[in-house]
Amino acid sequence: MNYLYYLYIQFLAKYHLPEAIGMITFPLLPFIIVAVVLIVMVIFLVLLERKVLAIFTQRKGPNRVGPWGLFQTIADAIKLLIKENITPVGAEKFMFTLAPLLAFIPVMAIWGLIPFSAEFDFISYSVGALLFMTIASIPILAILLAGYASNNKYSLLGSMRSVAQAISYELPFVFVLVAVVVLASSMNLGQIVLAQTSVYPFCGWFIFPSFLGFLIVFICALAELNRCPFDLPEAESELVSGYNTEYSGMRFAFFFLAEYAMMFIMCAFIATLFLGGYLSPFGFYLSTKIFGNGHLGQILVYFEQVFWIFLKTFFLIFCMMWVRATLPRLKSNQLMGFAWKVLLPASLLNLLFVCLYKYFLFAK
Amino acid sequence: MIKKITKSFEYIVALVLGHLTVLKHIFKKPVTLEYPEKKAVLNENFRGEHALVTDSGGNLLCTACGTCQRVCPSFGTIEIEKDKNESGKFYPKNYSIDLNKCIFCGNCVNYCPFGAIVMTKEYELSNQKKSSLILDINTLKSNYSDSIIEKKEK
Repeated sequence: MNYLYYLYIQFLAKYHLPEAIGMITFPLLPFIIVAVVLIVMVIFLVLLERKVLAIFTQRKGPNRVGPWGLFQTIADAIKLLIKENITPVGAEKFMFTLAPLLAFIPVMAIWGLIPFSAEFDFISYSVGALLFMTIASIPILAILLAGYASNNKYSLLGSMRSVAQAISYELPFVFVLVAVVVLASSMNLGQIVLAQTSVYPFCGWFIFPSFLGFLIVFICALAELNRCPFDLPEAESELVSGYNTEYSGMRFAFFFLAEYAMMFIMCAFIATLFLGGYLSPFGFYLSTKIFGNGHLGQILVYFEQVFWIFLKTFFLIFCMMWVRATLPRLKSNQLMGFAWKVLLPASLLNLLFVCLYKYFLFAK
Repeated sequence: MIKKITKSFEYIVALVLGHLTVLKHIFKKPVTLEYPEKKAVLNENFRGEHALVTDSGGNLLCTACGTCQRVCPSFGTIEIEKDKNESGKFYPKNYSIDLNKCIFCGNCVNYCPFGAIVMTKEYELSNQKKSSLILDINTLKSNYSDSIIEKKEK
């Protein structure tokens, strides 16, 4: 962070601004960057999902608004903003308004936990991984709140199913997380990334010792995000939309936004845990090879690291869309059975294997 | 237990193969047509708007025999007003097809003993008024000349 700070102060000095302003505004910068990037990313994720699904099913997808339909989501968002905010009769007004905010704000908060590059790891707690799981489960509460507050039995049923699913899939997720923590000997996400460096390109990534864990986490992420094939709380063809049936306009947009933002963050988190985070898959950074080890090359490394983690994240998102294009929806009992009978034992097995691996390979 | 494991292994293989099958579709071209700009290539037997065939002199082949009227499954679609000209030949003084009632089965074309009625490839028939969907003899004639011009252009 020091090097970027130095650059920022120099940039301010060009415009004759005192260093004190730099000291105050510098910690705020990442938050602003993160917030803007998140919203832009979500808008284009929705478009990406529609486009990718269209390609999978041999359609063309949105192609009318702007070049290649690029502004489709922006048009949709404007439509949602203009729409009326309807509060149903008998709804708990305060909770009804609170729920969409509660779904969205934690997502914004955990977005900062992920190390995007070696220098852009600005909320670096020693228990980062645990904190991630903790804050990531708050939106589940918001879903229950939304179902309860809308005074609609179908909304409540949908939200209860959603919560039951998310909670039971959180368990194997955490057990796999424990395995990763064992491998990295740290809970700090930055340290977990650094623990995946190795002499050979991409051989140190944790996907190799715990491939099973990677699969489990991927499946759990699908379930927690209420995505296909685990999207029965909001099964589009059967239930209208589950917990957010009564929501309209801006409030609905918040749920929608939170869902896609959470999807992006989950994928970034999995990429950090298993695919080496911001590390280059070649074992060296391209920018230092091209621009040399000098001033320019060193700065560009930060941006290259951001590029790598985004590439890995988008690969995982593509996989999620691929799964959505392929698999049909599960039944409710199959869903729960799969979580408790298959994934939980498998995650424990993974933990055992990882512990043995760590003990025999790295024991001193 | 072993049976269960082998069965679940089968499931996993099927799952992976299914995903690969879906992945194959990325490399195929989309089947969607951007309709108003691009139009589908129609089959030779496509049954669109009707047209009355005229010979090179511009005279109708139709003799107003009424076969089309009789084979039409939708009662009252075709209405013909019969008349005799100077040489003693029958001809339709008025011939109208009500597209509100027509089901586009093509019976009138198949059964016509003189080949006097055909179906063009025109299918954009939507209209604001019901009355403009009743084709009279002049529109049926011009439909035929239009379809011939379209064929020549191709």
